[in-house]
Amino acid sequence: MNQPVIKLEHVSKTIGKKTIIDDLSFDIYGGEVFGFLGPNGAGKTTTIRMIVGLMKLSKGNITIHGHSIKTQYKDAIKHVGAIVENPEMYKYLSGYQNLIHYGRMISGITKERIMEIVEVVGLAERIHDKVKRYSLGMRQRLGLAQGLLHKPSVLILDEPTNGLDPAGIREIRHYIRKLAQEEGIAVIVSSHLLSEMELMCDRIGIIQQGKLVGVETVRDFVQSDETMQVQFTVDQPSKASQIIMETLSLRHIKHNETIIELKIKRDDIPLVCESLVHAGIKLYAITSVAKTLEDKFLEVTGGSGIA
Amino acid sequence: MLKFFNLIQNENMKIYRKGSTKVMILILLTLVVTVGLIFKFGTKDKPITSEWKQELIAENQQYQKQVEQSNSGPEKKYYQKEIAKNEYRIDHNVKPVSGKNIWNFTNEMTGMTQLIIIFTIIVVSTSISSEFTWGTIKLLLIRPVSRTTILLAKYVSSLIYSIFMILLLFAFSWFIGGILFGFGGADILNLQYVNGHVQEINWVLYEFKQYGLLCVQLIVMVTLAASIASIFRNSSLAIGLSIFLTMAGSIIIQFLSQFEWVKYVLFVNMDLNQYIDGIPFREDMTMGFSLSVLAVYYLIFAIFGWLFFTKRDVAS
Repeated sequence: MNQPVIKLEHVSKTIGKKTIIDDLSFDIYGGEVFGFLGPNGAGKTTTIRMIVGLMKLSKGNITIHGHSIKTQYKDAIKHVGAIVENPEMYKYLSGYQNLIHYGRMISGITKERIMEIVEVVGLAERIHDKVKRYSLGMRQRLGLAQGLLHKPSVLILDEPTNGLDPAGIREIRHYIRKLAQEEGIAVIVSSHLLSEMELMCDRIGIIQQGKLVGVETVRDFVQSDETMQVQFTVDQPSKASQIIMETLSLRHIKHNETIIELKIKRDDIPLVCESLVHAGIKLYAITSVAKTLEDKFLEVTGGSGIA
Repeated sequence: MLKFFNLIQNENMKIYRKGSTKVMILILLTLVVTVGLIFKFGTKDKPITSEWKQELIAENQQYQKQVEQSNSGPEKKYYQKEIAKNEYRIDHNVKPVSGKNIWNFTNEMTGMTQLIIIFTIIVVSTSISSEFTWGTIKLLLIRPVSRTTILLAKYVSSLIYSIFMILLLFAFSWFIGGILFGFGGADILNLQYVNGHVQEINWVLYEFKQYGLLCVQLIVMVTLAASIASIFRNSSLAIGLSIFLTMAGSIIIQFLSQFEWVKYVLFVNMDLNQYIDGIPFREDMTMGFSLSVLAVYYLIFAIFGWLFFTKRDVAS
C-alpha cells in the first residue's frame, strides 16, 4: 500500500508506576478504516488521546503525515478530525454556533462549507436549535460535522455509533466507508460493538492491557486459515460421512441426523459435492460456518476482562 | 494574529451567550439604580449654612478628641485626614457642598468595581474550568492552535469583559446620577489627601485614577482565579476559592497585622487607593513597593496557571 498516514512507533504511556500503554506500534494508511478493538480499560481511549495530543507520550513517537505530534503538533493535527469519547458541545449555543466556533480555529472555513457539511450529516433542519435540545444521535451527527469541517485526511472516531438507532448506525457506517473509499481518508474507529466493526473496518487492531495483541485484516481475522468450517445438509448423513471420509481420506467426521460438519479446504468443497451427488445422496445445503469476529475476539483475548 | 482575533471572538460568544452573563449585567444596573435612590431619598444631608467655617472648626475639634482617645492606628489616621481636608477648606475659603451631586455619586459607585471583580472571577473561572467539566476541552484542544494561545484568549476575553463592565458602570452611574441629582457640577471641588498633604483634583481625573487602581486589583484577582481554575479544572472550586480569598482578605490582614512580614501578603497590597487618598497600611509601604509585590504575585499566578493548562494531560 501507499505511505502510512499515521505511524505509531513504540508508544508507551506510564502514569505513576502503572504502564497504561506498552510499546504500541502500528501504521494506518489512507483509504482504510482501522478498527481499534479491546475490552474496557485496555487503553483504546488513552491511545486515541495520545494520537490527538490530549495526552503526552511517555515513550515513542506518533507521526501524522510525517509530522511528529510531539514537535510539530500544529502541522500534525491540522490533518485530523476527531471525536474523543462523547461529542460534547456547548449546550447553550446552537449547533450552527458550535460549528462556527470550531471553524474559526482553522483557517479557510467558510459559511458555505459549514452549511455543506451540515447538509451532509443531515442536520440542516435543526442546526439553529440549541444543542441542549438535541438527541444523542443528533449530537453524534454534530460531532461528525465538527470533525469533517476542515476536510481532514484522518478521521478518529471513538465509539461513533454510540446512542444511534439501527438506521442511524447503518447510515454512519455507510458514510464512513464512503469517506475511506471515495475520499481516501484514513479512519480510526474504536468500538466495543464487535459485529459493527466487522461490517465497517478493513483492518482491526486488538489491544489488551495496553498491549497490541494483533493487527489483521477483517477477512484474515475472521478466517485466518485456508480451511473453513462447512456444514452439509443431506438426507443420509452416515452414508454421506463414509463417502466424504473416503474422498478426503479423513478418519472421523461429526454428524447428526441431517447435518455433517467438518473442516475442509476451500478447493475440496466441489469435490465433495461431486462424490455425494454421484452416490445418489440428496444435498440440500452447503453452509460455511465462518467464525464471527466475536468468537475470534474472545479467542484472542482469552475471553477475559470484557465488561 | 487573525487566529487570535478569531479565538477572542469565540470566547466572547461563549461569555455573552450565556444566561449568567446577562444576569450579571442586570444585577449591576439594578444595584446602581437602587443605591442611587437610597442616596437621594434615604439619607439626610447636613444643611450648609453661612457659618460653615465655624462648623468645620467645631467638627475638627471633635475629630481631634477622637484622635486623642482612639487606640487604633487607621482610625486616628482617618480623622487626621478629615481634619486636614477641613483645614484646607477653611484656609482656602472653599465652601463645602452637598454630598448629593452627580460626581460624588459616580465616585461612590466606583466601589461597585468590587462586584465587577467577583463577576470577572466567575467569568474567567467558568471560561477555563467548564471546558473541562463539560468535556468540550477535548474538542477545543485538538486544533492547530497552541494551548498557550487558547488560554491567553480566555484570559484576554475575560479582561475585555471586565473593561466592558467598568465602562458600563461608569456610564450608567453618571447617567443615573445625572437624572437623580442633575447633570453638571463639574466645578465642584474635590480634595484628595496624599502623603499628608491636601490637593485639589478634577473629579473625572480622580475617578479615572480610582478605576485605574481598582483595575490593578482586578487584574491580580482575575489572574489568581484563572490559575486556580486551570490547576483544579473545577468551576465551583475555582469560583468559591477566589471569592473566599477576596472576601477573607481583610480578615486575614487584621489577623496578621502584628507581624512585619504582613506587608508581603497579597491582600495588604491590593488596595492601592491607600497611597492616593488614604493611609498606607504600614508606614514603610509605598506605591512602588506594593506594585512590585503585586507584580511578583502576578507572575507566580500566571506561570502556574499557564504550566498547568499547557503541560498537563487531559485525562477525564
